[in-house]
Amino acid sequence: MAKDMVRLENVSKKFGNTYAVEQLNLDIKTGEFLTLLGPSGCGKTTTLRMIAGFEKPNEGNIWINGEKVDKVEPYNREVNTVFQSYSLFPHMTVAENVAFGLKMKKVSKQEIAKRVKEALELVQLANFADRKPKKLSGGQQQRIAIARAIVNNPQVLLLDEPLGALDLKLRKQMQLELKQLQEELGMTFIYVTHDQEEALTMSDRIVIMNQGKIEQMGLPDEIYEKPATKFVADFIGETNLFEGTVMDANPSFATMKCGGRHISIPNTGNFSKNERVYMSIRPEKIHVSAQAGEEDNLLSATLKDEIYIGSVTKIIGEFPDGQKVIAHGSRDILKSCTRGDQLYLHWEPADSVVFEMKEKMEV
Amino acid sequence: MIRNVRAAYLMLSPTLVWLLIFLVVPVGMIAVISFTTNLGFGGILYEFSTEAYRLAFSSLYAQAIWQSLWWSIVATVICGVIAYPFAYFIAHAGKWKNLLLLLVMVPFWTNLLIRLYSWIILMNNQGVINNILMKIGIIDEPITMLYTPFAVIIGLVYGFLPFMILPIYASIEQLDKTYLEAAEDLGANPVKTFLTVTLPLTFPGVLSGTIITFVPAVSVFVVTDLLTGGRLLMIGNVIRDAFLVEMNWQLGSAISLLLMILVLISIVVLMKFTSSEDDSSLL
Repeated sequence: MAKDMVRLENVSKKFGNTYAVEQLNLDIKTGEFLTLLGPSGCGKTTTLRMIAGFEKPNEGNIWINGEKVDKVEPYNREVNTVFQSYSLFPHMTVAENVAFGLKMKKVSKQEIAKRVKEALELVQLANFADRKPKKLSGGQQQRIAIARAIVNNPQVLLLDEPLGALDLKLRKQMQLELKQLQEELGMTFIYVTHDQEEALTMSDRIVIMNQGKIEQMGLPDEIYEKPATKFVADFIGETNLFEGTVMDANPSFATMKCGGRHISIPNTGNFSKNERVYMSIRPEKIHVSAQAGEEDNLLSATLKDEIYIGSVTKIIGEFPDGQKVIAHGSRDILKSCTRGDQLYLHWEPADSVVFEMKEKMEV
Repeated sequence: MIRNVRAAYLMLSPTLVWLLIFLVVPVGMIAVISFTTNLGFGGILYEFSTEAYRLAFSSLYAQAIWQSLWWSIVATVICGVIAYPFAYFIAHAGKWKNLLLLLVMVPFWTNLLIRLYSWIILMNNQGVINNILMKIGIIDEPITMLYTPFAVIIGLVYGFLPFMILPIYASIEQLDKTYLEAAEDLGANPVKTFLTVTLPLTFPGVLSGTIITFVPAVSVFVVTDLLTGGRLLMIGNVIRDAFLVEMNWQLGSAISLLLMILVLISIVVLMKFTSSEDDSSLL
């Protein structure tokens, strides 16, 4: 196992009386692409800014490459940041911007020229060295910002929603380029985003944050397939969330009751009879058919709507009690159906995830 | 959206009429009068003459023009040196910001004449400053401050300092703080961040402060009147005297026009300082 490059221990940050980050523990491995993911205001950017040194934690400690950095000013930390707004210096040329960090470190002129050229070649903007950043497109400015950071060869690169201002197509392209760059350089990346798809595409590991705390930490597929909390299930991808009561909690056979329906659930042994729970099932895990089959866990619903979204068709059904359910299917299934017709849904209980209902949690 | 050019001019017409009546016509009149023949006692004979300009470039008046320029430049530079740290301090003063700005503005609400009189009391040979310096034994006899260029420059700096502070304050205040974080992130300590990022990016504020300090400073006449008792002359004094004392409208007009041209040239030169940077990047 690689050693930890960044370590946060019981880190808290308060703004006024509210915690932006509360009791955060996080180890980031050398060479890892770690993403902090969460809705705005969840504390992900504050966490990044504490690693960069722009914010000082109220409690807890941060280590970078084995060094405790509580008293280290941002300009003495071996990390560089790619800012959301790029923050390229408007009064300097592209080359001067990229050279800035090396100049501050008093690197020799020849060395600076060489490394600036290399960094600009790496982001494919060598021809733009003498331009002013304002004359470049958003995507180009983004690459300059990345070049300006990586030219310093930092131990950790911090990226604060760096692709947020780009259009979808460019963003997708830059995601792949960034990932490739990270693998090429073997540099530790800490990436902040609120875009779950971006996080799933790029990360080695994802940390999902909500209200200053970590909800779940894991590999992209773990987070998607096995969300640890209702929040994660809801935040990552699309899902159907059903609220109900556990009816049976036997090792072989567990069910919950939800709006008059009995649904089989995986028995993790964590639930007892009559406990109120949430169940999450991804739309693509639900099988839809027009005729009732022999399967267990078969439910019927009426077809409310179908939305063609390219690769699949989104089928929106409604249970007798009015609860909506979304499933992904092929158009063929619906050939013989019109709105209001009966549909039959079933899924493997193992594909669903059940969470205990925490108090005060909004439905 | 106005596509119709005539409609656009129609809507602009009040402004255009205003500019015509109160700017173009008076300046035109001054320009015309400066080339007429002087009949004495304010009399104007509409016959072409360059006598006024010959007079304007004669030693007495040329010296006043030169002095005005020189003192204004010195005062503007001193204003800049004082104003920048001051503005920087205000911009970083947090909750005291508005109070400090108010303190900068308050002198504006008092007449400049009254404020200059208080400087007479301070700088007099028997004034506050000389008395204190003699009491603590730094000097044995009073230093003459009034009636000297020193007094003029004090008056100019004092009178126009707020004009320098406010635009510099605005540019520091508006500076995007993420530039400073970016510099810090790239290894620049606070001093280097200031020199490489803050100062260059707030330079436009210094420039507009320079223009709006220099332009009124170069043409002011109350400062020399009060602090030198009229012994030293600036362009403002010369113009006023030409019109009101010597009744030589041609000379007054000629010097006014020369002053306007001078100011215009200095503004263009100053503007070149900032815009040249952006132009080069267009290439």
